[in-house]
Amino acid sequence: MNKLKQAWRNNWVGYLFLSPWLIGVLTLSAIPMLASLYLSFTSYDMFTPPKFIGLDNYATMFQDAKWRDSLRVTSMYVFLGVPLQLIFALAIALFLNRGISGLKFYRAIYYVPSLFGGSVAIALLWRQLFGSKGLVNSFLTTLGFETKNWIASPDTALYTLIVLMIWQFGSPMVIFLAGLKQVPIELYEASKIDGASKWKQFSRVTLPLITPVVFFNLVMQIIGAFQAFTSAYIISGGSGGPLNSTLFYTLYLYQKGFTHFQMGYASAMAWFLLLFIACATAILFITSKKWVYYQE
Amino acid sequence: MSKMMKSLMLYALSIIMLVTVAACSSNTPNDAANTTSTPKATNQNDSNQQNDKKDNVEIRFTWWGDTTRNELYNAIVDRFEEEYPHIKVKREFGGWGDYWDRLTTQVAGGNAPDVVSMHQFYVSDYARRGALLDLSQVVDSGSLDLTNFPESAINSGRINDTLYMVPKGVTMPGWAYNTAVFDELGIDYPDMNWTWEDYAAKVTEIYEKSGGSLWGSVDGSGGQPQPNFRYFTRQHGQDLYTADGQIGFTEETLVKWWSMWDELRKKGAIPDAATGTEYENAPLEQNMFVTGLVAITQIPANQIYLYQQQFSEGEIRMVRMPTLTGGQNGEYIEGAYLSITEKSKHPEEAALFIDFFINSERSLELFKVEQGSPASTTMSEFVKPLLEPAQQRAVDFIQEVLPYATDAVYAPLGAAEIQQLFSDQASKIAFGQMSVEEAAKAFMTEAQAILQR
Repeated sequence: MNKLKQAWRNNWVGYLFLSPWLIGVLTLSAIPMLASLYLSFTSYDMFTPPKFIGLDNYATMFQDAKWRDSLRVTSMYVFLGVPLQLIFALAIALFLNRGISGLKFYRAIYYVPSLFGGSVAIALLWRQLFGSKGLVNSFLTTLGFETKNWIASPDTALYTLIVLMIWQFGSPMVIFLAGLKQVPIELYEASKIDGASKWKQFSRVTLPLITPVVFFNLVMQIIGAFQAFTSAYIISGGSGGPLNSTLFYTLYLYQKGFTHFQMGYASAMAWFLLLFIACATAILFITSKKWVYYQE
Repeated sequence: MSKMMKSLMLYALSIIMLVTVAACSSNTPNDAANTTSTPKATNQNDSNQQNDKKDNVEIRFTWWGDTTRNELYNAIVDRFEEEYPHIKVKREFGGWGDYWDRLTTQVAGGNAPDVVSMHQFYVSDYARRGALLDLSQVVDSGSLDLTNFPESAINSGRINDTLYMVPKGVTMPGWAYNTAVFDELGIDYPDMNWTWEDYAAKVTEIYEKSGGSLWGSVDGSGGQPQPNFRYFTRQHGQDLYTADGQIGFTEETLVKWWSMWDELRKKGAIPDAATGTEYENAPLEQNMFVTGLVAITQIPANQIYLYQQQFSEGEIRMVRMPTLTGGQNGEYIEGAYLSITEKSKHPEEAALFIDFFINSERSLELFKVEQGSPASTTMSEFVKPLLEPAQQRAVDFIQEVLPYATDAVYAPLGAAEIQQLFSDQASKIAFGQMSVEEAAKAFMTEAQAILQR
């Protein structure tokens, strides 16, 4: 008891400085989180008081074909888009790491899309680019290819969103660049003397040594991609169409909560997503022992 | 490096997780209530207000619309504040889609505006959940005067015999065309009382005579089931829903409806599925009719003048929704309405505001036919000489079609989901993923399941 008092006396200033953040976390995150956990066990239309229905929301979820669609679409977006984005980011990082002049400038320029890539304005721009009269099509016409209605065709709509994600390669690229700088130069010199080709150097020296960074990027981007919302919402006009092909999980959650007035169900969906992301992350952490190499 | 990396990652992860959950759970109503400030009315004492008009009161009014409408409504509210200096009106507005999302959140959070703009599509969601005030209270107290309103207009604001909303303006939907386009192609204008057969023939003729460069009309098979499909069901003596909240039409009607559109689509007379999808949510200035991709489109009459503004050549005219040979009239009254929310602290002042909005010359001389022809007979006479030709055509159209209107049932709970299902199934047909029969069968099964819940 006395110790506790002592600790408080020593630290209260620290807590005071922390308080804006603490209050924010409690009122804007922790309490709403607990509320949504409770709501996920209720039937709640936002007008009348919630009715406790146990696990019904979760049970309904697994029979909801549209929910399965949304999970499938999101998984596809994440597990196809994130690796492609990282490969692209790594390629650019490798290129920039060759000691070209004006590195700082290029690094800044390439980072910009990451900053506002998730914005409404960019999503609107994307809609224009890939529309039937968009820039992409006029470019294809000049080259003599067939044009297509990219965003409004069920078989291509999701890919336009994946391209949009890849385009936001800036933040993983910067982290890759930092990782590449950490690779000891002696290893390259040694491998060169041993007669290793450029590719061998990359696959045997660079890649193993940056696996921690790859891992970090993978985890961060996957978590981020599961929550993507704006691009699909804007590009499909809020519908997740055509034919649910861009029905991201978060978009369906939003529809359930705010257009269909099923906030209990939407809360259950949110908690399922949390668990799903947690599982995906846990699996990554478990497998990481097999492929992530830490120096020392 | 490894230790630092690991701890960095764990730290970053924990933050991400928190943010995730915060993002997901920001859907909870607590949040909305906490973050949106509730304006405190200067007077908290309700009981005194009715007697003492000098007390200062603040009410909030919200509407949907574009920039022009926002300027217009702001001007009307300014005039109201001049007339009633003790009432201050806070204004909130947004586009059609955002408007409803925000209103839902506000009502759920317990801080809804006092006077809200309402629409038939959505009123039952609010009324059936007890979010709207029974307006007969304020009509009885004399704050809201409906003596100049025809019975049919008042009834259009009733749900289960309770008056929840009063019309700002009454409008009727129909199909619009530009005379210049028809003249150029040498095609006769559609007839005011055309049938669905005439309609199909007309759009095919447009498509053929234009050499395939112009589609006949927009694809009306899906999207919102009203007004197009709803008219079709009503012409068959059915409706979207029955009075006791069940599906009101037969699978056969639905098959007939979707087959008609499917044939037109296969002929190329209406846009293909991908093009239709692309323009589905386009704003007026960019939609298929304004950009010259289709020759006929379905709009509410009050928008004629908005469309006219987009064309330098030709006149935008309207004809009735196509009729069914040997069928009944599909018409029912539509419009934009005003409601008072159940939790309003100042229902009498809110009623005074609505009364000013719909009954005073000072308001109507600005409103004209912004969201439809004024429902009050005195006021619709009053605005007549103030109208532009395109607005005049709208009023003429509404007055010609209005007598056909009969009562319409309001949607049950779950209608929003059924609307989504309808639109989903229609696009499955359009994209060739399902046959008309399969889609209709699946629709009936799933729709009944939604209503059973």
